[in-house]
Amino acid sequence: MKVTDLVVAASIVALALLLSYAMFLGGIGPVPVRSELRTLALNYILLTYNPVKVVYSALAPEGVTAIVWDYRGLDTYFETAVMFLAIISVVALTHGCKVRIGLGKGGMSLIVKTTTRVLMPLIVLAGISITMHGWLTPGGGFQGGATIAVATVLALVTYSIDTLAKHGIRKRVLLAMRSTGLIGIALTAVALLIIGLAIGVNAYIFQNQKRIGSPLAFPAYFSGTPTGGSLLFYNLFEAFAVSAGLSLAIIVTSLREKEVKETLRGEGVE
Amino acid sequence: MNELIIPYLLTVVFVSFVINLVIALYGIFARPTLVKKIIALTIFSDSLNSLAIFVGYRVVSGRVPAPPVVVNYTSPQGPAQLAKVAVDPLPQALVLTAIVIGLAVTLFMVKVTMQVHRVYGTTSVRKLERIEYVNKEEKSEGVVE
Repeated sequence: MKVTDLVVAASIVALALLLSYAMFLGGIGPVPVRSELRTLALNYILLTYNPVKVVYSALAPEGVTAIVWDYRGLDTYFETAVMFLAIISVVALTHGCKVRIGLGKGGMSLIVKTTTRVLMPLIVLAGISITMHGWLTPGGGFQGGATIAVATVLALVTYSIDTLAKHGIRKRVLLAMRSTGLIGIALTAVALLIIGLAIGVNAYIFQNQKRIGSPLAFPAYFSGTPTGGSLLFYNLFEAFAVSAGLSLAIIVTSLREKEVKETLRGEGVE
Repeated sequence: MNELIIPYLLTVVFVSFVINLVIALYGIFARPTLVKKIIALTIFSDSLNSLAIFVGYRVVSGRVPAPPVVVNYTSPQGPAQLAKVAVDPLPQALVLTAIVIGLAVTLFMVKVTMQVHRVYGTTSVRKLERIEYVNKEEKSEGVVE
């Protein structure tokens, strides 16, 4: 580390401290951190689990998941679509690259491999647990799915891309899993609408519980525990899609240099 | 003492986020390497996400503010009790999706940078500029009538 780096870092820290002191003392005053909730936030917290006012409630104790998949569900749907477009672009960039099995003996030492073998199921389990408590505790489909994807990354680093392909974690399988998750989310979003059309009752897209003018609802309890209605399905499918999608993107990013270069030059076998 | 220290520290946090944003912007614009641009961009988005979380923060006197989760949902007073101590859930919900999208988009940018390196042998924007220039010259020679 050079002396100039240290000086730059120290001066940036000093700038932050002095600037905030000036703001604190000066006319602007301290940053306006609230001691009261905004009305919108108050509404969300009071209504996220409210069996009395079911028509405004998601019946899920976790406020963030309720907002993500119920109150602002359509937003999240299209945000998820953006994410999967990015993953599809990553896959499209390596279109035609094939993993040749049996090329590398690769992988790390036996100690690392054994540790990974012990750790991987635990990571997957933790991811499933985060997903399946998404409507009760902080967490949900995104977080659980990302946690499960970590297991793939670990396997990819300690073993090799060959081993993953041998065990069935291939591009096509992951793409199919990802698409299943997305279709599941879309079907959950219109499930009550389809039922409503079939039996001639009014219903809305992204409907979870009873709403004004619509008596249809997802089951809100499972043996006495709240399930958040549709949030259960959204979280499940989202975890499915996110874990497969991120694993796919990471596998595609770590393809062997030789094979990708062959494809780029047009020598690859389709 | 506490009444003075806590607002000052919160101001420090806010100003640090802003300075972080500025440094990240400098990195995006001034560094020639694509890899460093991507790193700066992730720093930028992370600072912005933290700033959004900070906007949803609230000071609760006498204790740490609680996450927006109704723990005591069996009692009818549960949500009302939570509303006294909880932080704003909306910025958290918005940041949640932003993080996951950011991860996917970063992966995409990394992949593009890898392809650029494979094809041109460099990730420096300045060198890439020159490569494009040479190619243009070759093309224009072929098109001249």
